[in-house]
Amino acid sequence: MRQMSAKTNRSRSVSRLTKKIHIGNIMFLLPTFILFTFVVLAPFIQGIPYSFTNWKSIVSTNYSFNKLANYEYLLKNKYFLMSLGVTFKFTILFILSSNIMGFFLALLLRQTSRFNNFSRTVFFLPFTVSVTAAAIVWSYVFTDIYGTITGLVSPLGLESQIVYAMVIIASWRDMGYTMLIYIAAMQTIPKDFYEAASIEGANAFQQFRRITLPMIVPAFTANITITLAWGLRTFDLPMVVSTTKRAGQTTAVYVYQSIFANNNAGLGQAAAIILTIILVVLTQIVSYTLRRIEVEL
Amino acid sequence: MYNYLKRKFSYSHKSAGQRYFALKEIIRTLSTLLLICIVLLPFYVAILYAFKPVYEISANRLAFTQSPTLINFYEVIFENKQFISGFKNTVLNTIPTVLILVVTTSMSSWVLARFNTRFYSLMYSIMTVGLLIPFQCYILPLYVNFFKLGLVSNNIGFIIARSGLQISISLVAVTGFVKTVPRELEEASSIDGCSRFATFWKIVFPLMTPINITQLVLNTVFVWNDYSTAIILLRSKESQTLTLAQITYFNENTTLLNHAFAFFILAMFPILVLYLSLQKYIVSGITAGAVKG
Repeated sequence: MRQMSAKTNRSRSVSRLTKKIHIGNIMFLLPTFILFTFVVLAPFIQGIPYSFTNWKSIVSTNYSFNKLANYEYLLKNKYFLMSLGVTFKFTILFILSSNIMGFFLALLLRQTSRFNNFSRTVFFLPFTVSVTAAAIVWSYVFTDIYGTITGLVSPLGLESQIVYAMVIIASWRDMGYTMLIYIAAMQTIPKDFYEAASIEGANAFQQFRRITLPMIVPAFTANITITLAWGLRTFDLPMVVSTTKRAGQTTAVYVYQSIFANNNAGLGQAAAIILTIILVVLTQIVSYTLRRIEVEL
Repeated sequence: MYNYLKRKFSYSHKSAGQRYFALKEIIRTLSTLLLICIVLLPFYVAILYAFKPVYEISANRLAFTQSPTLINFYEVIFENKQFISGFKNTVLNTIPTVLILVVTTSMSSWVLARFNTRFYSLMYSIMTVGLLIPFQCYILPLYVNFFKLGLVSNNIGFIIARSGLQISISLVAVTGFVKTVPRELEEASSIDGCSRFATFWKIVFPLMTPINITQLVLNTVFVWNDYSTAIILLRSKESQTLTLAQITYFNENTTLLNHAFAFFILAMFPILVLYLSLQKYIVSGITAGAVKG
């Protein structure tokens, strides 16, 4: 009997202790959680009903619900579909070029030496420059250098080439990032693997195919997923270089223009929801597929 | 190829393999140098124009000037109101934002890394969902809320918004780091009767120094260069940060190219110095974040 009560006493004090820990933990989580809810979570939830309204100017709060009208309008709207097309074209080219360039640079610079470290510093440098400054300086590279050498018009000035110009600027900025991740992955491969392979008589290509490639697949997954997300949400670059050109307008810019410039807040919000759904679905599919490939290799 | 050649020549011409190897190194170095030149081209253009005297700009654009001058920089620093207020705003926004992020995310990450019951993993998933949702999805409600509270076009609003937006990314990185820190020290201190608060600030926080420096540096780069948040929340000319000010200035003074480029260089200069002096932290922060997914 006495034993029993001692036991319950102890368990009660333990539960009091865990409760105290729990409250302590919540105090530690609270500042972050409040900040995050205030800036991201609450606005995100709040925004969903806005996409079903005919809200026009953000200055007024005068609006009424119009069911799915915004979505129906958008799926038939030429400019919205065009912006989706631009976004996809940009994203695909951007994923390819930033990853191919980053991978190539990583192959060149994977060994640690003073020259290679210096080169890595240089290739990552553009990532620390603001997109806005980069875009404006690049517009002068296109007119003054590219234009002088080839005698052609700057691609930023042509509707047909503006996406390619944007891909060049974006890849210039981000290939240093993908490069760093590929190098980090390559450096985790033990040197013995290559030594063993070359003793066995495997040539450079076989070593690359059988050792390097399978070992760095996780880096491919990371890089492709992140460049996909960056590409789909591209906003600052087209905002600077192609506000006046539809051919360079991504969906993110379409959203901004609808809400803040064209007084079509409800419509812009619906476009943003469509963009979010596309982004979430695509990144999930891509990372799931890449993880499966990882397992198979 | 290399092995093929090595085997073929290894007995008769012993140096051929070595010669091939040296050739490979030369090609490698040359192609790296070529790529470095291409990557640095925009920097060259910016520096070239910024150091040219105004009267020389139209003639012979690409040649480096005979009389480089610092007058453009002087005029931007001392006479350009947009630069002065933009610089002030950027500094006043960046410093509190990165400090808030270090304090909040390190506290939460410690709890999220140490406890993994359902409640805590749910909290972690909620707070990192920001990685998936594009910013455009909540600019309208964010703007409307901030407008009602008088947080539009001022530094405080920007600081709150920018730190909230950065939480998801920081949280993933810091939580990943805390999981690698051994628990023994904190357990010992809690047995010694330290409160949780004291344990955190005296024991855990110092152990997190490497990741906190990384976060400070990386977040400084991101917040300094921020454009998307600034263009939505900072709608008056007085509250503009450098990224916005340089575009407005550029669009208003397309003829004063030299000043515009001097402006760009001055705006990126602090970050450039930060990057070159603390590169190690930037590189480790980026690779650690990616390897963990």
